[in-house]
Amino acid sequence: MAFLELANLTKRYGAAVVVNGVNLAIDQGKLVCLLGPSGCGKTTTLRLIAGFAVPDGGEIRVGSRVISKAGAAKPPERRNMSMIFQSYALWPHMTVFENVAYGLRLRRLAEADITKQVGAILDVTKLGALAQRYPGELSGGQQQRVSLARALVVKPQILLLDEPLSNLDANLREEIRFEIRSLHDQYRYTTVYVTHDQTEAMTTADVIVVMNQGAIDQIGSPEDIYKRPLSEFVARFIGGTNIFRGANAGNDHVSADGVVLQCGSGEFGPSGETAVSIRHHDVKLSETQPDFTSNVASAMVERQIYLGSHRDYLVRLQTGATVRVVSDVAVDIPAGRQVWLYFPPEHCRALAR
Amino acid sequence: MSLNAETAAETAGLRRSIDLSRPIFGLLALALCVLVILPIFWLAVYSLQNDAGEWTFENFVILATDPTILRAFGLALLMALGVGILATAIAAPMAWLAARTDLPCRSGVRILVTASFVTPPFLGAIAWEILAAPNSGIINGIYRWLFGLEADAYFVNIYSFPGLIFAIACYTFPYVFTLVANALERVPSDLEDASAILGASQLTTLRKIVLPMVMPAMLAGSLIAVLQALTMFGTPAILALPAGFHVITTKIWSLFQFPPQPGLAAAAALPLLLITVILLRGQKWFLGRKGYTVIGGKSGSARITNLGVWKWPAFAFVAFILSLAVVFPYAALLKAAVTTNIGEPLSFASLTWQNFNFVFFEFDATRLAIWNTLVLGISTACIVTILVVVISYLVVRKSFPGSSILGFLATAPVAIPGIVLGVGLFLSYANPVLMLYGTLWILLIAFITIEMPAGYQQISSSLSGMHPEVEEASRILGASRLTTLRRITAPLLKTSVIAAWCFVFIGTIRELSATILLTIANTKLVSVIIYDLNESGNLGAIAVLGLTLLVVSFAVVIIAHRVPLIARG
Amino acid sequence: MRGFFALVALLAGLIAGSAHAAAPVPYGITPALIAAAKKEGTVTYYTSLELVAAEHLAKAFQDRYGVKVRVERAGSERVFQRIGQEYLTGIHNVDVADTSDAVHFTYFKRRGWLSQAVPAEMARLWPADMRDPEGYFAAFRADLSVIAYNKRLVQPQDAPKSFADLLQPKWKGKLVKGHPGYSGTIMTATHTLSKALTWDYFAKLGQQNVMQVQSSTDPPKKLSLGERAVQVDGNEYVVVMQQKKGVPLQIVYATEGTPLVVGNAAIFKTPAHPKAAKLFYAWMFALEAQQLNSDFGGVRSFHPSVKDNSGRPPLSQIKLLRSDTKELEANLATIKRRYEQYFGT
Ligand SMILES: Nc1ncnc2c1ncn2[C@@H]1O[C@H](COP(=O)(O)OP(=O)(O)O)[C@@H](O)[C@H]1O
Ligand SMILES: [Mg+2]
Repeated sequence: MAFLELANLTKRYGAAVVVNGVNLAIDQGKLVCLLGPSGCGKTTTLRLIAGFAVPDGGEIRVGSRVISKAGAAKPPERRNMSMIFQSYALWPHMTVFENVAYGLRLRRLAEADITKQVGAILDVTKLGALAQRYPGELSGGQQQRVSLARALVVKPQILLLDEPLSNLDANLREEIRFEIRSLHDQYRYTTVYVTHDQTEAMTTADVIVVMNQGAIDQIGSPEDIYKRPLSEFVARFIGGTNIFRGANAGNDHVSADGVVLQCGSGEFGPSGETAVSIRHHDVKLSETQPDFTSNVASAMVERQIYLGSHRDYLVRLQTGATVRVVSDVAVDIPAGRQVWLYFPPEHCRALAR
Repeated sequence: MSLNAETAAETAGLRRSIDLSRPIFGLLALALCVLVILPIFWLAVYSLQNDAGEWTFENFVILATDPTILRAFGLALLMALGVGILATAIAAPMAWLAARTDLPCRSGVRILVTASFVTPPFLGAIAWEILAAPNSGIINGIYRWLFGLEADAYFVNIYSFPGLIFAIACYTFPYVFTLVANALERVPSDLEDASAILGASQLTTLRKIVLPMVMPAMLAGSLIAVLQALTMFGTPAILALPAGFHVITTKIWSLFQFPPQPGLAAAAALPLLLITVILLRGQKWFLGRKGYTVIGGKSGSARITNLGVWKWPAFAFVAFILSLAVVFPYAALLKAAVTTNIGEPLSFASLTWQNFNFVFFEFDATRLAIWNTLVLGISTACIVTILVVVISYLVVRKSFPGSSILGFLATAPVAIPGIVLGVGLFLSYANPVLMLYGTLWILLIAFITIEMPAGYQQISSSLSGMHPEVEEASRILGASRLTTLRRITAPLLKTSVIAAWCFVFIGTIRELSATILLTIANTKLVSVIIYDLNESGNLGAIAVLGLTLLVVSFAVVIIAHRVPLIARG
Repeated sequence: MRGFFALVALLAGLIAGSAHAAAPVPYGITPALIAAAKKEGTVTYYTSLELVAAEHLAKAFQDRYGVKVRVERAGSERVFQRIGQEYLTGIHNVDVADTSDAVHFTYFKRRGWLSQAVPAEMARLWPADMRDPEGYFAAFRADLSVIAYNKRLVQPQDAPKSFADLLQPKWKGKLVKGHPGYSGTIMTATHTLSKALTWDYFAKLGQQNVMQVQSSTDPPKKLSLGERAVQVDGNEYVVVMQQKKGVPLQIVYATEGTPLVVGNAAIFKTPAHPKAAKLFYAWMFALEAQQLNSDFGGVRSFHPSVKDNSGRPPLSQIKLLRSDTKELEANLATIKRRYEQYFGT
């Protein structure tokens, strides 16, 4: 049975439904990413789990015990969770050591134990030398590590992270991302990680939960989400993609924008309207007409950008619709040239939603 | 099944969202309503009754037709306006000099401004009597001596309308100074750099960028000065009466003389309340329309302007103003304290301890009054600080819908002039049902009401600058709301809490308008004693008490800054 | 509260009516009274006497009987206003009070706020018209509201001799006077003078750019400071006290007459310290207190054995203007109104 369960969880602010009937089961020791665009309700979901917000409907259970339900919530301090905040939320009036020791002091540990455990976690997070500094005297990355250490040292049942990397520059982001993942591998706390960055989600998560407008769109492993999106939203949000919308022509074929596309996977919409997704780098570009009957279209190169490892094309179909193609650097076709596009069926995914 | 039972059992551990903050909210709202609304309610009731207790508009008819009352209103408004303009004209340049230039002795300037701030205005007025009474005033004496003039020639006359404006401005300009100086420090220097890079001269940058940015703070400061002047009682009572005119506060006070006319006094108080509300609204409207605030930039410390050749003229200007507000008055008080007759020139032979001896050992009322003042000042400061921390917390953290009402109630007393509140409180708490008149409690209520807005402003603004996640980080690690408030929020607010505490404490020492109506023999405060002594002309004793107040205020402020609020931070 | 006012007045009327009786038997200072007073420890004394004089009185009493006197000093009108406010709201803080406004005590008596008490010494020595026939209050002191000038600023030959002289242009901007709205002495003096000299006199005086102060004790101090040269009114006793300090002030007993201001004292209805109040009240009329009053307070005494050491003429040699208390009480509001009309406040 799942360790952390959200059942039909709902939260309203005034008339706006910010979290809308979320169902989610997380197994013990898993790192789950809540991924979605800004304002989709990720933070709110996290705050519901932490107990900072009280749900308007549904339940939250930990180990099958209810900790939150409509109108009632166990206060955050009694949930044995830890949270890492977007702003780090370090206490400026305490040293690094005191910040980290705070949770242990609340648990009334002996001072010797506190010194030992804090020392250990500071070493793990490479902060040992900075123990007596104040947060104001640390760099952004160091501050984030303090916040990690502070959250981990209390051995929480559940660890919550709210966009922990968004205030860091690109290099640090990568470094801390791997650090978080390796710390998770080391301690195996059940973790909920909120982010709007798909790379972050892909590289850290066991399971990704894609949220859209307060509801869960899709749950799955990073590969699932990337390769087998169930909705146009997920396909667009995770990795770049081209979407064709058209009528179901039967036999796994969809006709859209003057192209007939045979789809290798996916589900077709019941009404006949179906979207087809094909990733930028899956589209094949050539100056000669490929000899396939379907999944082929002629187009004109609108612009081409050289990006070192690959080239990024924008091409325009006869119908006026545009398609983005990422190709090998060897394929070098200048703008204004007539080209042929081939959409391999195995990469064409039909999306019912 | 067993799961159900377990769920039910566990549910007991859940807390309904109605937690402790809701009853606290209820209590606070009720307390604030009582504090603010009750006195105004009674004022309204009394103003609408005649001596026989019948409902009537008589009092308002008198109010609208009695030329002496109308004149008092007119003069009060003119005076307040004059104070606002004068205080801003001297404080704004001073604030700029102290905050953004290489003026010599800038910290000394701030200390003297603080000294002016802790000086009760009525004490300043008395000191200015010693300095600038037309005949006996020291300044006029020197003037006559310098120019060999006739005995009745004078240079300045404090017993006059301009004299009154001057004497009030001397002790209200610190409001403008502090607000403008703080705002100036927060104007990020890159905004100025941006202007400079476009080719603007320093002066142009000052005029076009810095001045507009601090305009809201300056207007807010001027408005406080205007409100202070409008509602001030002590200084006009000391200076306007000899000059032969009333302002509205002294007029209301005279309506309480025998035979008392509380109905008319209440009626006269209501327009004062109205004017205050209109002024406050006006400020909101003005600032709202302009819609800019000083945004705290990260970009380092404010840029210091090099004054160059203007350095010493600027210093002379500041020194002159501060001499007028602080140095001369306290020198005059010191002279009065150590001489028997202030009219005599100072000589070694004329030095005496008699005034000190009288105040501290012979004059019975002093020790009680100093004790009362300290007790009330400290307890008001503590209660208000705690109240406003809790209120700010509930309001800023939007603990639940409707909590912003508390904020409104906590700020509302700003619109109630002291003397009006005094009348209202007297009417509210001097009846057989609730007999607080004659006790320190009524003064405590008055002081809490009067001082709450300033404390609330202070705390709520620094609380809103504090990210809520800082508290949540503590909650999630296992600290309760209260523990968090104690170990995280309070220490982080320490500086503003101390500032608010000192502000309130000083405020109670300065207070006279409400106090004068609410004290009896056993509940005398130093401010009232000084007023009484002035009535019977004991300058020496006043000077001793005034100096004592200054020393005590400074001592308390210094101690307050030293005492750590929380043992382990 | 208005209703409450009415109720109090009604009750007061009843009590006063029922208590309408002859003066009580005079009492003396007995060892039993002293012991009882000592037990109470303090007596609260509201006074409009000059502060230093009041403190002298308090100290002498405490030294003699070991009972502390808590002195509450303010101008007469403020003492009166305070007692009124307190009694109307049920606070019975005051034990013994005196003011320099005779009207106050007829008002207190009518309200029924006073106790009957006649110290033996006073019963024996005081003129009959200087005490209440029913024994509710008596003239504790008398004072004159006098013209005075600072000899440093005015040569004796230039000094005014009468109130009329003060209207001369040369005194413009040189006069100081107390305010009838805040001082009983000035109220009494203003009333007497308005009868003797008519209101027209004040209308003209108002043109003289007079410095206005609140208390009747203040004008002599403004003279001492040299702030003004001549006082129109103000306490004689304060002038005398300033003279003793070596300030060159000179009193002028105006040719038109000098207003006599009688200062009554009384024990209140339900004093917090009844025995101490009784003892203090009796002592107030005894030679010691009266002599202290004369020596340090400079006020006039009705005690025949008091020796005036100040060298000023005795009351019998001064043309006095006495006021009619009843008439004064009826005219309070008018006086204040006319005054504000002429003097601006
Ligand atoms: N306390 C609140 N009151 C009202 N609306 C809120 C509150 N908190 C969040 N919201 C709204 O709920 C929506 C979801 O917010 P949030 O959970 O913070 O999104 P995310 O973290 O996914 O960016 C937003 O539209 C936000 O404006
Ligand atoms: Mg968020």
